[in-house]
Amino acid sequence: MRNIISLFIRYSAFIVFLFLECFSFYLIINYNKSQKEIWANSSNRFTGGVNSYMQGIEDFFALQNRNDSLLIENAKLLETIINYRINSKDNSFQAFEESDSTSTYDLIPTRICSKTINLRNNFMTLCKGRKDSIRVGMGVLTENGIAGIVSQVSEDFSTVLMILNSESRTSVKIKNKNYFGNLLWRQSNPRIMTLTDVPKHAEIIKGDSVVTSGFSISYPQDIYIGSITDYTIQDGGNSYNIDVELATDLSQSDYVYVVSYKHADQKKQLIETDE
Amino acid sequence: MNSLWQRNIIRGIFILALQLLLLKRIDITFGDFNYIHFTVYSIIIVLLPYQMSRTGLVLIGFCLGLIVDIFYDSLGVHAAATTFISYARFYVLNLIAPTEGYSKGGLTAYNYGLPWFLTFLSIMVLMHLVTLYSIEAFSFVYLKEIILRSVFSFIASWSFITIGILIFNPKY
Repeated sequence: MRNIISLFIRYSAFIVFLFLECFSFYLIINYNKSQKEIWANSSNRFTGGVNSYMQGIEDFFALQNRNDSLLIENAKLLETIINYRINSKDNSFQAFEESDSTSTYDLIPTRICSKTINLRNNFMTLCKGRKDSIRVGMGVLTENGIAGIVSQVSEDFSTVLMILNSESRTSVKIKNKNYFGNLLWRQSNPRIMTLTDVPKHAEIIKGDSVVTSGFSISYPQDIYIGSITDYTIQDGGNSYNIDVELATDLSQSDYVYVVSYKHADQKKQLIETDE
Repeated sequence: MNSLWQRNIIRGIFILALQLLLLKRIDITFGDFNYIHFTVYSIIIVLLPYQMSRTGLVLIGFCLGLIVDIFYDSLGVHAAATTFISYARFYVLNLIAPTEGYSKGGLTAYNYGLPWFLTFLSIMVLMHLVTLYSIEAFSFVYLKEIILRSVFSFIASWSFITIGILIFNPKY
């Protein structure tokens, strides 16, 4: 113990020096705009590289699980298609399959380089960027739900503002009832989100499904998000506060699909000129 | 001892005032060439007594830098640079120790001769400016600017300090 104390005394100048330097750099990064940007940029580049490397290692060990989950997903899709083909009248589905020009939505599959789940404002980094034609504003889907909207794109990476972020607002509707609202994240539970702005006169019951409205350019219409678990009406308020349990567990997903909407520019332009 | 402290404090305040009220406003620009800045306040650290504890020196350096930062609107930049040179001063002094050691009092040209003092001063000021402008740029992408700025500011600041030292020739 005495040795440790004497060590501290002997090196006190160095310790104080180190501490003050760290503190100065903390001040520089937090209170100077240009330095802050350089710091954020270079650290992003660094952590982006490290993260994708680490993810590569992790991926190798998770290959079996990935394969299984992809297989299941494939089977589900195939099942849907087969059933639809059998049930579709007048061979309309076959006709749709054969005509190739109708695809308005493209899905870009990508790996998640890194993500946070348990912060107040969560972001996710994807391992694809502008090179793979990912643009700002595109929606991001998981295999059974939505994940967020692309907020920044670099050459090789892109950042997603997740729905688990206090700044995220997603336009959704209650399926079959056509009541629209905004999906926010107010709780700390990453499975539960809050649906607001649904008018008081709407008749809702627990278990109703919530799907995307298709109003925004980010998500296609009728993507299943989750189901209603609970609802209250605020005192004096005109709308419900509805708890929605997400179908997807965002902490588990490793792969996501970025939605590229063919007419995004047109729609965006229209919306912007409208305002 | 007391008068030594008084001298240092008064000198510190005077130099800080000179730096922050006058030299900060001097802006020498020829077109694209704006690499000359008078940054002379590091002389305060250079002239502090040799007997001072190294921890105290580092703390004073940090406070000094912080005061300058508040006036320069660059919180942390000057503080980091001055903290660094006040920590490094001990090693610089060891490196250039005169044969008879540091027994004559204040670290000035009056006590140890002009050549020794100018060596000491040059090392300290150059170190200060290089760290200062490196931290200000915060990225070695701007290496050319850091070097140009450091060199030209060094020439200007060093000449300014040397003239001051020759005029006042302080004993402590």
